[in-house]
Amino acid sequence: MDLAKTTKSRNARAARNSPSIGSESPRCPPIVKTAQPTSSSAEQPRSSTSTPTPPSARLAIANQLTTASAILWDPKHTSRPPPGKLKPTHAGTLSVANRTDSSISVRNLGGGQAIPVMDNRRHPSSFQQLEKLGEGTYATVFKGRNRQTGELVALKEIHLDSEEGTPSTAIREISLMKELKHENIVLLHDVIHTENKLMLVFEFMDKDLKRYMDSRGDRGALDPPTIKSFMYQLLRGIAFCHDNRVLHRDLKPQNLLINNRGQLKLADFGLARAFGIPVNTFSNEVVTLWYRAPDVLLGSRTYNTSIDIWSAGCIMAEMYTGRPLFPGTTNEDQLQKIFRLMGTPSERSWPGISQLPEYKANFPVFATQDLRLILPQVDQVGLNLLNSMLQLRPEMRVSASAALNHPWFNDLPQKQQHSAQAMANAQAQAHSAQMGGYHQVPQVPFGNEYFDGSYVTDAIQQNGSWPSFFDDTYCDGYYVTGPTQPTGHWPFL
Amino acid sequence: MAASYWESTQRKFWTFTKQQLSLERKKLEESERNLVNMYPLPDRRLVSIYYSHQLSKMARPLGIRQQALATAQVYVRRFYTKVEVRRTNPALVLATALYLACKMEECPQHIRMILAEARHCWDTAFNDISKIGECEFTLISEMNSQLIIHHPYRSLAELQNQFQLTQEENTLAWSIINDHYLTDLPLLHAPHIIAITAMFLAVVLKPTQGGLQVHAAGVTNALQALGNARNAAGQGTQNRVQKLVDWLAESSVDMEAVVECTQELISLYEIWESYTDKTCKDQIAKFVKARGLDK
Repeated sequence: MDLAKTTKSRNARAARNSPSIGSESPRCPPIVKTAQPTSSSAEQPRSSTSTPTPPSARLAIANQLTTASAILWDPKHTSRPPPGKLKPTHAGTLSVANRTDSSISVRNLGGGQAIPVMDNRRHPSSFQQLEKLGEGTYATVFKGRNRQTGELVALKEIHLDSEEGTPSTAIREISLMKELKHENIVLLHDVIHTENKLMLVFEFMDKDLKRYMDSRGDRGALDPPTIKSFMYQLLRGIAFCHDNRVLHRDLKPQNLLINNRGQLKLADFGLARAFGIPVNTFSNEVVTLWYRAPDVLLGSRTYNTSIDIWSAGCIMAEMYTGRPLFPGTTNEDQLQKIFRLMGTPSERSWPGISQLPEYKANFPVFATQDLRLILPQVDQVGLNLLNSMLQLRPEMRVSASAALNHPWFNDLPQKQQHSAQAMANAQAQAHSAQMGGYHQVPQVPFGNEYFDGSYVTDAIQQNGSWPSFFDDTYCDGYYVTGPTQPTGHWPFL
Repeated sequence: MAASYWESTQRKFWTFTKQQLSLERKKLEESERNLVNMYPLPDRRLVSIYYSHQLSKMARPLGIRQQALATAQVYVRRFYTKVEVRRTNPALVLATALYLACKMEECPQHIRMILAEARHCWDTAFNDISKIGECEFTLISEMNSQLIIHHPYRSLAELQNQFQLTQEENTLAWSIINDHYLTDLPLLHAPHIIAITAMFLAVVLKPTQGGLQVHAAGVTNALQALGNARNAAGQGTQNRVQKLVDWLAESSVDMEAVVECTQELISLYEIWESYTDKTCKDQIAKFVKARGLDK
């Protein structure tokens, strides 16, 4: 840490704020380089005081080894890990006095604008950082504890890049999570901005599905009642997303979180990204192919909600066997593994397939296998559902809401509860409508679906379905009407 | 399950009544009374027109789509309901809003391209990409990370199918929607109300006769036509209008809101006639330069 720079930027930008930690730094003696306190030592702020070293000895060492940042980030004063690099926040170009009702707290340890009103809960140090839970491409996730309430949380730290500002993926995730509140979608409590990172505070979930299967299952395989419950919750989460015209695009066991109460929630929105959009930072990212739908693998640019259903199908099979259904290594290998099981599609079974960019006329030809033989663990009714999700042709795949009505779920206690609730809600609504209740949901002639103007996270649906004058000068074909899904129809049951 | 606009943060947190909005702005002005007195600005709509011209100027060379531009305009409007404009450098806020909107609408632009265009379009531009990064923080923060915007374009596309609008009518309706971002309407009404207003005006104005220019007089006539049609629903002279009126009567669309939007648009087109680029530019540059906000 460069003291001169730190001091200069402090003086330049922080005339009126004098936090107790900061005020020491201009006077602090010049420097012998030392190791900065690490984040692990920051976890236990009090531990150093309880060590038996006599104060005088410690003082002697401290006199030799002092830097501005060692003082600023002394674990005695703060539990924050020291920043890697100090960057100015809020140079004088933009001054925002009050940010009382912001859910993001800009805190500037470099000494910038003081933020007069700041909710303590939103301060990074109001969370005790516990063990690391995982590391993604642009974020690190820690377990954390709210110091005030003791509540466990998941802290997702997103690192910021001066060339990119806040990563688009993070922006998308945050803004989507602000809109999507559902019991099967992980809850975003708060967003905390610091000078060089962004911290998302999520509700804490005990495990992801992958680890759950490894720890609970019989060689990874789960018992049928658990599978049914998880599938139901997974599909509810997906249905909610799709109703809100959000595609998850990256469903896999690692992105499904499980808590001790057996609840399953979708997580990691925004890690998936639209293809066709260069995201320079993550070009070497390896996204797992195993749950990717064949139409996407074939290079289709008009995919829709059905891609999430394919992933759900793959996950269902994996819960039964403990092993991924299609563990491909490359795009081609992935397709081949799918065809080996589901049969190689042709122009006859999938009209238009030969137009897809990655289609090759010389795909090895496989016959369709009977899923019963490959997945003998699955009961007949379950197989029917699975089969409807694992349709090669996207338009043949079942929709999430139709899948929820599949008879396989009929004996599920959760479902009975939900349908009872739905009935009650509908009755209450009808009642309040009769009473001329206040028009919370304005009625439009075609029902809400029609005019919702909802959001597709997806830039891909720019196909030719728009009238020709909808060119770039007006608007792009971005908010495309939702795809028509086959209605739930269970012929033989 | 709720379809999304009705459950959206846009509806819950960013749709105001006129009174709420003017109260918010009054509070903001009171908190900066000196600045407001020292640096008067033209009518908000005129400033909005200037912003929109500047945004288009930046967006055009980059090939940014209308939807991202519209999102940026809404961001700017939301931001300035919470932050007094005279405390900011509008060049920076607009460039950043555009940058953020492009990320949100999945047509990201490189931060350096945005900087270059901003410097090209403004005398009061800033000189360093880190400013955009900082300002982006602030924008996201002031908007509480509520960044998803529902636009009327989509609703209009639905209406277009429903009513078999001609291409001229559609084009005009699109333009009217583009224009509504110059007013407070995006903070006051649901996107489908705007879309219905735009369609109604487009059909009533008959662009084949009037060309694509919307004139205040034309809109006034339109409003009269609307009134007449509502009162005398039996006359069969204006078939298309009639069809629309019937449909609107059947529907439970908030007609008050549609009329309000129409009036808002009329007054926009009226005040537009007094618009000059230079006045806005100079008056903004005055406080930016005087306060050193471009440094």
